[in-house]
Amino acid sequence: MALISVALGRLSQSVLLLLAMSVIGFIGIHSIGNPVFNIVNIETATPDDIHRATVALGLDQPIWRQYVLFLDNVIQGNFGTSYIYHQPALALVMSKLPATLELACVAMLVAAPAGTGVGLLAGRRKGGLFDCAALRSSVFALSIPSFWLSMMLILLGAILTGWFPSGGRGATTSVLRLEWSVLTRDGLWHMILPALALAIPNIALIARLSRSGTIEVESLDFTRFCRAKGLSPRRILFRHTLPNISVPIMTIIGLQFGGMLAFAVVVESIFSWPGVGKLLIDSIQLLDRPVVMATLTFISVAFVALNAFVDLFHAVLDPRVRLAS
Amino acid sequence: MKAELLRVLNKRPPPRMLTPSMLLIATYILLALAAPVIAPQNPYDPLQIYAWEASSPPGTAGSGGFLYLLGTDGLGRDIVSCILYGLRISLVVSITSAAIAALIGLTAGVSAAYFGKWADVAIMRLVDLQLSLPTILVALIAIVTLGPGIDRIILALIIAQWATYARLARSVALSETRKSYMDAARLMRLPTSRILFRHLLPNSIAPAITLIPIEVGHAVALEATLSFLGLGVPIDKPSLGSTVANGFQYLLTGQYWISLFPGLALFGLIASINFVGEDVRRRLDPRSRSV
Amino acid sequence: MKSGSPFRPFLLAMLVILLVVASVPAGPVRAQELRIATAYKLMTLDPHYANLNENTSLLSHIYERLVYQDEYLNLKPGLAISWRATSDTQWEFKLRPNVRFHDGSAFTADDVVYTIERIRDFLKPPSGGFRSYVSEIKAISAPDPLTLVIDTNGNVPNLPLSLSSIFVMHRTGQEFQTTDELNAGSPPVGTGPYRFQSWSSGEMLKLVRNDDYWGGRGAWPQVTFRVIESPAARVAALATGAVDVADAIPARDVASLKQRGARIASISAARINFLQFDVGRETLAGVTDKSGMPIPNPFKNPSVRRALAMATDRGVLVDKILAGYATAAAQVFPGGLPGTSADLQVSPPNYDEAKALLAKAGFPDGFNVVLAGPAGRYPGDGESLQAIAQSWARIGVSVQPAAYPFSVFNTKRASGDFALWYGGTSGEAVDIILHALLASPNPDRGTGALNFGHYRNAAFDAMLAKAESVPDGPERNKALADATDFVMADQPIIPLYHFHHIVGYGPRVGSYVMHPRGWTTAMQTLPATE
Repeated sequence: MALISVALGRLSQSVLLLLAMSVIGFIGIHSIGNPVFNIVNIETATPDDIHRATVALGLDQPIWRQYVLFLDNVIQGNFGTSYIYHQPALALVMSKLPATLELACVAMLVAAPAGTGVGLLAGRRKGGLFDCAALRSSVFALSIPSFWLSMMLILLGAILTGWFPSGGRGATTSVLRLEWSVLTRDGLWHMILPALALAIPNIALIARLSRSGTIEVESLDFTRFCRAKGLSPRRILFRHTLPNISVPIMTIIGLQFGGMLAFAVVVESIFSWPGVGKLLIDSIQLLDRPVVMATLTFISVAFVALNAFVDLFHAVLDPRVRLAS
Repeated sequence: MKAELLRVLNKRPPPRMLTPSMLLIATYILLALAAPVIAPQNPYDPLQIYAWEASSPPGTAGSGGFLYLLGTDGLGRDIVSCILYGLRISLVVSITSAAIAALIGLTAGVSAAYFGKWADVAIMRLVDLQLSLPTILVALIAIVTLGPGIDRIILALIIAQWATYARLARSVALSETRKSYMDAARLMRLPTSRILFRHLLPNSIAPAITLIPIEVGHAVALEATLSFLGLGVPIDKPSLGSTVANGFQYLLTGQYWISLFPGLALFGLIASINFVGEDVRRRLDPRSRSV
Repeated sequence: MKSGSPFRPFLLAMLVILLVVASVPAGPVRAQELRIATAYKLMTLDPHYANLNENTSLLSHIYERLVYQDEYLNLKPGLAISWRATSDTQWEFKLRPNVRFHDGSAFTADDVVYTIERIRDFLKPPSGGFRSYVSEIKAISAPDPLTLVIDTNGNVPNLPLSLSSIFVMHRTGQEFQTTDELNAGSPPVGTGPYRFQSWSSGEMLKLVRNDDYWGGRGAWPQVTFRVIESPAARVAALATGAVDVADAIPARDVASLKQRGARIASISAARINFLQFDVGRETLAGVTDKSGMPIPNPFKNPSVRRALAMATDRGVLVDKILAGYATAAAQVFPGGLPGTSADLQVSPPNYDEAKALLAKAGFPDGFNVVLAGPAGRYPGDGESLQAIAQSWARIGVSVQPAAYPFSVFNTKRASGDFALWYGGTSGEAVDIILHALLASPNPDRGTGALNFGHYRNAAFDAMLAKAESVPDGPERNKALADATDFVMADQPIIPLYHFHHIVGYGPRVGSYVMHPRGWTTAMQTLPATE
């Protein structure tokens, strides 16, 4: 079937992508510097210590041999051991995953209804006051660099007012042997500012999309028939317009969720949120190559899988796509 | 295309935000060009910086004989000068990378559409591969591999951006190749380069052009983000992003000016580019009229 | 309004949830829990993995040493109550009786044997950062459960000092415990005043009081360490009362913290930050005359080095850049600590004399040089490069500062890319620093590990070796001071400053005792009396 061939094509493409990215990332990290200096105490280590540590980590081998070794291990599911934390790299990534997931989910839970709602109301009266204001503020919201937005949120929400904590993750509870902070009050409190930082650009994006969808649907014949029939505008909006624009919005929400995982890198760094993004930045700075590779691979796989899933979902939901292919 | 433009211009009243945005961008460009003349201090010259005047609040008098209008950063550099010189870097990096990425992407996309078969498959495979990753990740990987430096950042941004243009150019060029004037050109046995550059390319450009201002905005934000993460411009050459980054640690203890003002300047730049981009798109691309 | 109604229940629900969440304060403070924000990123629960403050500072709550260094860097009894050298190559330690590990088993000399064997024989690189501390131990035996006899290869007068860095672990079976096992959470068992409760690597460590501790009950029933690497976030956490103690406070934030009611404790660190020259090579990258033509290595000439030292304004570095939280340096340790010389004093810059000296050395017009350094690693590192550039410009030497991230800096320095750089180091004692920094590089003898400038002075090497063979005491200190006097006259490095460790604490803590090694522990605090 068409869907299966599409899925297979996606799979081969993803494998290619991961291979390419692994080569580049590997070479990149190698060229920054020698990670041994972050492991031993540079002030007391002898050159002999440094040499022995280098050999022990396999860093004295030529780069191509290190890469082949790395691939060999990855196929068996082993990304190596973190140079800094001396824990398996993949396990380290997985342990930081709940933090990023819960942040992205909360952000999307805020952004999706808010964005859809704003877009619906704006599109309903195109050219009106609310519409113009919404359009303009959406451009502003999409122009703010994410790191500056996070900083301003900290300035306004934590420093000047003292309402929210300025960073870090709150208290966690253990569910399914993983730590989640979304289930505690302290955890939610710590999550509000970073979730806002992630949500605001997405509210703008989803709002614009739902606005254009609303405008399109409102201009269609069946909407006019509904009005002629005497249905209230509110009912038309929510019982007819909304379901019709939901498919592209769902698609965007799915795609943006993947994008959130990527932008979480910046937001997590600023809020000291111990998730996968902060792990990536920290390990790049510490030259912890196994963790960098594990994190990059994980983020890429997640993103590609998410895209593929969204496409599949879109194909299943929207018969026009299926018929066209 | 010109006729279409005139028709569009005559039909609708110009959107209100156009003039202020274009004015703002023009002001930014002028400021950046004039920076060496109007900046009170050259932040790249260590002899002009007084390290003990670091983190001075806005309005302090400096040892160099002028007032620190917006204060100084953690190393004693005047914020106004940092903004002016940082603008230069932001504008140069983003415009250069967007222009070159557009050139490469357009050529690649148009070639893929024209030559078809293996060229098409190869180029589009590459494009799809790259577009399946978020741009910031591609830029991150590129900059980590290439190393620090302004030329490397431009290269990394080109790598991150060309695919978007390529995909758009290819789809437009595909529909153009089916048009009759292309058949005529082929029948006339014009040399390939002439067909490509004098006929196909100019007609496929219009939608891609609408993409450029938006991509320039993205490039500015991307460069700032990379500098913020410490992977962009070298530490001693302030760009808008790196100044904001350095200012973050002072923000938490109340010295807000180091992050606030360069961030505002950055925000203003990106917003005005996006507003202009909006308008260009609305005017030139009738398909997106309703949005 | 008609348009809003279907949203209303949803909005109302969100508002209610927000209000509920808002009405609850940000997390209860359990009675008598000490919360510490630390810059030290705990990387492993294995106390023998690496000799880094990141690990030792936090693990010192759980594990203990045979001897420990107090705030004056003098050795005090820990798990060993007395020690003496029974011969040139043998030491005897008497151990403390009635000490129990956290799992209830008794502490005996066999545990020390296990500890040392684990470091010397079992741990493989990259772990085993303490290997050099036990490399001189030939044999170790326990004639009775509370006596330890150590045989060394040759005369090792400062063996107790080496042992002051080693945490004693408990032998728990036939096999040596691996680092992975310890990290995985079989709870680390030590003899210390606090027991391990839980941890999240790089984020948090929770400790609970050991009520059976031999030194008496600790002051706090619970201690939680939060790892906050960003200095600003640490300061903010203290300022908002989210933690009770925050270490590694930047000097510039002291004023604002005091304004918010926090109190500050500081001490001159047992560290030195300095400028180091490459005196080995014939020509150096980045060192040119005024027109840009490369010149032969000017730093080979001691007069040039002395002239540059004379033109260095340490006052600006200490007073302006570090806001007074530093001590100008003339030698490797702050004056007054054991082994320092009273004759070496810091003098204010003398630009005229420096310029004359430089002219006499053959550089009347000065020269250009690139000054490299790490950025953000040590307090005041980036700013010092700028300030030094400005002072040296006054004698005609034009400096181009080049700051790098620490790992890149280390890599480049080790490959010899730099002509002149800013560095920092610390150590347990003066001789350890002199040994690593200024003794001629000799891999066999293990000297000169930090002597990247290839400075070779055979007379100094001899003086140092002789001083190191003197047993601990005033004679040894005098010998070391003399050696320091001798080598500093040749100016192989320009000592800049000893920065201060700064710790801030809030109202729940009564006082905090600083340690020059920069350790942050709950044992250094006293609760505020209610």
